[in-house]
Amino acid sequence: MRRPFEARSRRGHAVPRRRHAAGATWEVRTFVVVSAAICAVFLLVVLYLSQATAVATRGYETQRLESVRDELRRQNALLEVESARLDSPARIEAEARRLGLVRAAAVPVVQAEPIAARR
Amino acid sequence: MTEGISPSRLRVLFALFAVATLLLSLRVGYWQTIGRTALLEGATDQLRSELVVEAQRGVIRDRSGAVLATTVDLRSLYAIPKRIADHADAAAKLAPVLATPAATIRAALDSGAEWLYLKRRLPEPVARAVEALAITGLGFEPEPKRLYPNDALAAHVLGFVNDDGVGQYGVEGAYDKVLRGVPGSLIVERDPKDRELALGLRTAIAPKNGADLMLTIDLVVQTAAESALRRAIEREKATSGSIIVLDPRDGAILALASAPTFDPARVASADPEALRDRAVSWSYEPGSTMKAVTIAAGIDTGVVTPTTTYEDKGYAIIGGRRLNNAQGKVYGTTTVTQILERSANAGAVFVASKLGQDPLYQYLRAFGFGSPTGIDLASEASGAVRPLAQWYPVDVGTIAFGQGIAVTPLQLAMAYSAIANGGTLYRPYVVAATRDADGEHRTAPAAVRSPITPATADTLRTMLVSTVDRGIAHGATLPGYSVAGKTGTAQIPSDDGRYLDDAYISSFAGFVPASDPRFVVVIVIERPQTKLLGTITAMDAFHDLAIDVLRNARVQPDRP
Repeated sequence: MRRPFEARSRRGHAVPRRRHAAGATWEVRTFVVVSAAICAVFLLVVLYLSQATAVATRGYETQRLESVRDELRRQNALLEVESARLDSPARIEAEARRLGLVRAAAVPVVQAEPIAARR
Repeated sequence: MTEGISPSRLRVLFALFAVATLLLSLRVGYWQTIGRTALLEGATDQLRSELVVEAQRGVIRDRSGAVLATTVDLRSLYAIPKRIADHADAAAKLAPVLATPAATIRAALDSGAEWLYLKRRLPEPVARAVEALAITGLGFEPEPKRLYPNDALAAHVLGFVNDDGVGQYGVEGAYDKVLRGVPGSLIVERDPKDRELALGLRTAIAPKNGADLMLTIDLVVQTAAESALRRAIEREKATSGSIIVLDPRDGAILALASAPTFDPARVASADPEALRDRAVSWSYEPGSTMKAVTIAAGIDTGVVTPTTTYEDKGYAIIGGRRLNNAQGKVYGTTTVTQILERSANAGAVFVASKLGQDPLYQYLRAFGFGSPTGIDLASEASGAVRPLAQWYPVDVGTIAFGQGIAVTPLQLAMAYSAIANGGTLYRPYVVAATRDADGEHRTAPAAVRSPITPATADTLRTMLVSTVDRGIAHGATLPGYSVAGKTGTAQIPSDDGRYLDDAYISSFAGFVPASDPRFVVVIVIERPQTKLLGTITAMDAFHDLAIDVLRNARVQPDRP
């Protein structure tokens, strides 16, 4: 089994480490751990901020869509009023008169029973 | 460097710093403990806003679902004058769009106000036109507005909503609590731009919107009734009038027209007298239309039959007073049916005399005169039937032909409904159903009592048909349909208790088709120009209206 930190040549032979490498190893290890921790914290902060920003952005987007929805509802209500105004019998009668139409003098009523009897 | 500074100075300096540090520490300690709550509240107040979320007022629809009244947010135009670069230019651009003089707008902008409304609740096309001007310093704010798509149609049924959002008169007044709903609230935290914070506090209590009302009113019948009333009033140059159309089978009001009228959306400019509903909130002496009630009482008690005769001398004497027929006509031997056909006052006195004052009073009350009908509209009048103890002997005679008694057109319509439907007096109603979040609640027709038997009602129907076919109400005949009805002409009492010489109230009350009544119609015209001939106009109005109503309801003719 190979020992830890054992260096090897290109051909795979073990290379003896120099004595001062022990002190440097500790520093490197500390540097790596601290750097990793900083990176992890940084990533966590970035993640949190991005989430918070995303939620805030979505919130404002929701508000914008809500106001669009409210405006569409308002327009819909106005259109319903306009539709009711156009459907008003008084308006239709006035329009019919303007077009020169007149009321039917008499409405013939056909008795249903004799027709049904003939069938 | 410190060699020049004396130790005593250093001590003083140290003491000052120490005291300052102590004071600051105490101050910080205070805000962190005792003053913490106030500080937090102050900070929260800057962020938090509490809003009242208004409930949507219910929609009012006719029996077919057509919108009669609804609430829509319209845009109100406000200005922040400091932000408007050129007041004169802005006023000049706005003037033609707002239909307001430029000088008025300029004066408002120059008034020194920091914020002001230039015009509230603009029609949408006007709001869009203002928007297109893109003037910096102008803005819009939505404000609810009650809209009535049919303008003044059915104004007295609907009533109106005042500037405080409170319903008044008509259905808006009677059903205000139902229509209004319950407002909610919204507590949110906002950023400096007044936007809601997405991650902030949000507490909402949803408003409970008002219920929608489905009326018994038929838009087509209402339009026809108002049109007929308008023509009658124009023809007679009358001061006022009213028309009621109702279904005698359950008391549902199909149309209720009153003139003069008003536009519910512009009440501020309306004549106060126009607000009074003359079909419900106004009473008058009905005249001869009341003879049908007198004779119904006589037949129901059995004191007379349709063929009972009396000798008509052109007048009757009762309580020492002489009561004449209209225009002093003398009819000779007359049957009770002919009393209605000829509208003989002396004949009505004859029947009332045989009946007696106590039974006559009881029948008047049983038919609903002298007390409100209970219709679900605001401000109903009760009419006036004096207590029996206050009757003079002559009152039996005058009340028999409709003088000395005051009724509302609605009371008269309900009495004729009882005759039309076989003797049942219903409580009239205009709201067929309410719709809210819990579903639909329909109004059940309410029978109040039966003032006469079905046999009496049937007999009266036949007599009233005869009155139209062969009698004084012949102007009300319709091709293809049997009509039952009676005209009425009454004098108007003056302030001193006497009757005015040349002022009358003309009316017609009837139902159609008489064989299976679907519509009861009462038409009243106050002070017609043609005076005694005002009933002809009332019958013409009935004729035109009945044709429209029967066509609309596709009622099959009952006569060849």
